[in-house]
Amino acid sequence: MANVPAPPPACCCKCRRWLLLAGVLLAFLAIWAYVRFTRDEPVTFASDEDHFKYGSTGGERDAGVPYWVWKALPSLFPEFLPDGGKGLASLGFVFDPSRPFDKDLPVGVSKRNVQGVDRVFLNCAACHVGTVRDTPASTPRIITGMPANTMNLQAFERFLFNCATSEKFDPARLSLEMKRIGTTDDFVNRALLRYVALSIARDRLLFLRDRFKFMDREPDTGPGRVDTFNPPKVLLNFRMDLVPEREWVGNCDLPSVWNQGKREGMQLHWDGNNTSVEERNRSASYGTGAIPPTLDRPSIKRMESWIRGATPPAYPYAIDKDLAAHGKPVYQEYCASCHGQSGTDFSGAQVGRVTPIDQIATDRHRLDSYSEDLCANQNLLYAAYPDERFKHFRKTFGYANQPLDGLWLRAPYLHNGSVPTLRDLLNPSSKRPAVFFRGYDVYDPKNLGFLTDVPEEKGKNYFRFDTALPGNGNFGHEGKVFGTELPADEKEALLEYLKTF
Amino acid sequence: MLLFLKKCAPRCWRCLAILAVMVVLLGVVGWYKLFRSVPQPAFASEDAWFKYGSFEGEADTGLPFWIWVVLPRVFPELVPGPGGYKAFGLTWEEGQETPAGFAKKTLGFPRVTQNCALCHTATYRLSPDSPRIVVTGAPAHAFNVQQLLLFLTRAADDPRFNASTLLAEIGRETKLSFTDKLLYRFAIIPLTRKALQDQGRQLAWINRPGRPAWGPGRDDSFNLPKFMLAHMPEDSTHGPADFSPVWRMDRRKQPGQIFNWGGETPAFRSVLVDSSLGFGVKPNQEFEDKVARMDRFLSSLPAPVWPYASGEHAIRADLAATGRAVYAQECARCHEPTGELCGRTVALVEIGTDPERANTWSQVAADAVNQTIKKQGFRRPDLIKSEGYLATPLDGLWLRAPYLHNGSVPDLIALLEPVAARPAVFYRGYDLYDPVAIGFDTTSTEARRLGWKYDVSERGNSNAGHLYGTNLRPQEKTALLEYLKTL
Repeated sequence: MANVPAPPPACCCKCRRWLLLAGVLLAFLAIWAYVRFTRDEPVTFASDEDHFKYGSTGGERDAGVPYWVWKALPSLFPEFLPDGGKGLASLGFVFDPSRPFDKDLPVGVSKRNVQGVDRVFLNCAACHVGTVRDTPASTPRIITGMPANTMNLQAFERFLFNCATSEKFDPARLSLEMKRIGTTDDFVNRALLRYVALSIARDRLLFLRDRFKFMDREPDTGPGRVDTFNPPKVLLNFRMDLVPEREWVGNCDLPSVWNQGKREGMQLHWDGNNTSVEERNRSASYGTGAIPPTLDRPSIKRMESWIRGATPPAYPYAIDKDLAAHGKPVYQEYCASCHGQSGTDFSGAQVGRVTPIDQIATDRHRLDSYSEDLCANQNLLYAAYPDERFKHFRKTFGYANQPLDGLWLRAPYLHNGSVPTLRDLLNPSSKRPAVFFRGYDVYDPKNLGFLTDVPEEKGKNYFRFDTALPGNGNFGHEGKVFGTELPADEKEALLEYLKTF
Repeated sequence: MLLFLKKCAPRCWRCLAILAVMVVLLGVVGWYKLFRSVPQPAFASEDAWFKYGSFEGEADTGLPFWIWVVLPRVFPELVPGPGGYKAFGLTWEEGQETPAGFAKKTLGFPRVTQNCALCHTATYRLSPDSPRIVVTGAPAHAFNVQQLLLFLTRAADDPRFNASTLLAEIGRETKLSFTDKLLYRFAIIPLTRKALQDQGRQLAWINRPGRPAWGPGRDDSFNLPKFMLAHMPEDSTHGPADFSPVWRMDRRKQPGQIFNWGGETPAFRSVLVDSSLGFGVKPNQEFEDKVARMDRFLSSLPAPVWPYASGEHAIRADLAATGRAVYAQECARCHEPTGELCGRTVALVEIGTDPERANTWSQVAADAVNQTIKKQGFRRPDLIKSEGYLATPLDGLWLRAPYLHNGSVPDLIALLEPVAARPAVFYRGYDLYDPVAIGFDTTSTEARRLGWKYDVSERGNSNAGHLYGTNLRPQEKTALLEYLKTL
């Protein structure tokens, strides 16, 4: 009977007090942990335009990079940045001195505290805010809604992938770097990053690097361009090795996003594959890391209402009114039915509709990159949210005719940005530049576009765009009906009139 | 029992009451989460109902919607190409949540089941750079059902078919509640896996050596009920045959007309009942209503008309009129609904086409299947054994390529040629129409990429037989072909 357990000792008062104390402490700890680890607070902005530039789409919840890691990467890995690694600006990110908070974050990067950790990621503005300079010496004007003409998204992706591949991407090393640049994270966050989050982040980046290998079989996009519809194939985990070669190159220009209200019902995207502004926006939000469960609906709604009404800035240089008046009838005759009556009146029989590829005859790679296979599978996106489920995607067989609002800021031209200026666009393709440089933001009022003969300025190299590469063809949108055979004086007048858009 | 209760102290009673309430509550929650039936939203048309309507077999055959959604994303290497379920050659209409033939309905949780449109809806296009046209009731010539079944089996057998992997992928689409996650983790995912593995074992015979692949547009239609329904011992027969068009069924309901390639089915009701058994249906009034609705729909479903209204491929009326006379003489006896042999079988020695499909069926098989179906409580005229192959009316003939019961002749031009001149190898599964040959494109690069190599030397694939019209003079053939476009 030696194994009979002794009766529990009668509890003493002291003992009870300790237990009570421990209980209270535990309760506090639980409350603290609950508050901390359920936190989900975006940084918010008073003005709608600032919200568009810096507001959160919810992408940080799933894809967010911890703020201090974001800060540490460029300083720890300058070797993976172009032009000697001068911070994220070297990738074409735009830094706006008028940003209300977090002036160290560029335009198009939003911040949200998720589970107690400040996280950042891209938002819409990363691709839809650009800059213009009058002369190399002037301060760039930051224009919201304009194509991000300097932003090299692909170089940014490659920068992240390269960082993750490097042996320097080591939790201890990164933690040290974060400390060096003055992290304000508390002990818990620093410990979480060092012992949990960083290795997860690394695995995730390597996973994405592997999936995005398809980028390596197409020419580099360069700044102001993106492959829009191969990434969703990756998202759906299509076997990219079995995707037919004609779909490989999807490189195209980033578009402007003004006047979206007037565009409702038009065929949106270069190939006109969707007629719903809302759905198009949800689709584009994938690029900001927002997936159906993490999309911040009210925030996206606010951005959407801003782009519905946003308008481009007027052409800031001189316009010869008489000459422009001569250009108007030329425009009416040649351009209006496809491109609208003016920069504000988008009426016209063919505006926002697709012109078949054999008529427009521009480079068809972008068109072919969007496939029926992808279109079918997109029907399942947002299936958990019946009102939001994708229903408007269609496979088309040409490119959509766009309204020309803010045309002067939308250079280079055509869907693939293969024609540097409007003057070039009025020439037949044989006379359009075969090679030019992109990413430079000094304006050329004579030819209507950015200067494209500058390969380098103050140590910054610009992107050499070769129209001979797949997807970069500068042909098409030419011939009599496209105005390339107009007499010189009429072209001059038409160009002057286009400045009023 | 009562005695025991009486002995119970009041405190014990209270415990029992609480226990009972908890059991009831658990039952209600369980029922709500797993078996609550939510009717499908109303369909805009009977056509939409045909393509997306449920046969209410969710309890037996419903695949959990979210598992169905993520499977091709988790197991891309088991899918025959890029494009998720579309890679199996399914018709996936623009804006539709599921491909045609898949019905989404909530029974506790959203599930997908299959319906008739899976094998009886297809697409065609008039040029590579033009939209697909969806035709309800057309044989699904591009759909590879064998590959789809194999995909589900292989996925279920893969160690990655586990709660962690699937829930991670599902989490990228929807935020499941804590309870739902538990249900998926401990019940729905493991049970689905087991069900798919069981199905895979039952279907193992399909992929055994000696049974060449069915390829798109075909299934081994009467071995399926033998082995899957009546559980007859596996035999060596192998009879893949084309899916049939199901339009204008009113023209098929003349007295004495029978159905299916081997004339196995004596009445349209039997076709409808037997074809629905795979959807997990039960013999109740609800099912009877669906059979009646399907009967009405298919009886008035029009056959598609030749799509070239003008231009070089438009039908030349004078030539077609000449061709009509040739048809009357050469084809009408078997293929005109009023013809004496139409809707009846023609003996193998007469027709001379590949015998494998006919040989899969016997009176013994018919008896076994009839008995099983009767036992399940369904009433319909019994299946029979006929000799030879069925002569059918030719409505919508232009969209029924490839031809013969086994789809061994790619187009009508080839069908009017002697066997030696018919293609020995071609590619099935591309939906580009070839108005000259009257059939689908079976030779282009895209046909080779998307299609499945049809080799007439493989078992069951012979393109011999049906030599009618092969001796016509060239101008008679041209005229006949012109008339056949009008059907």
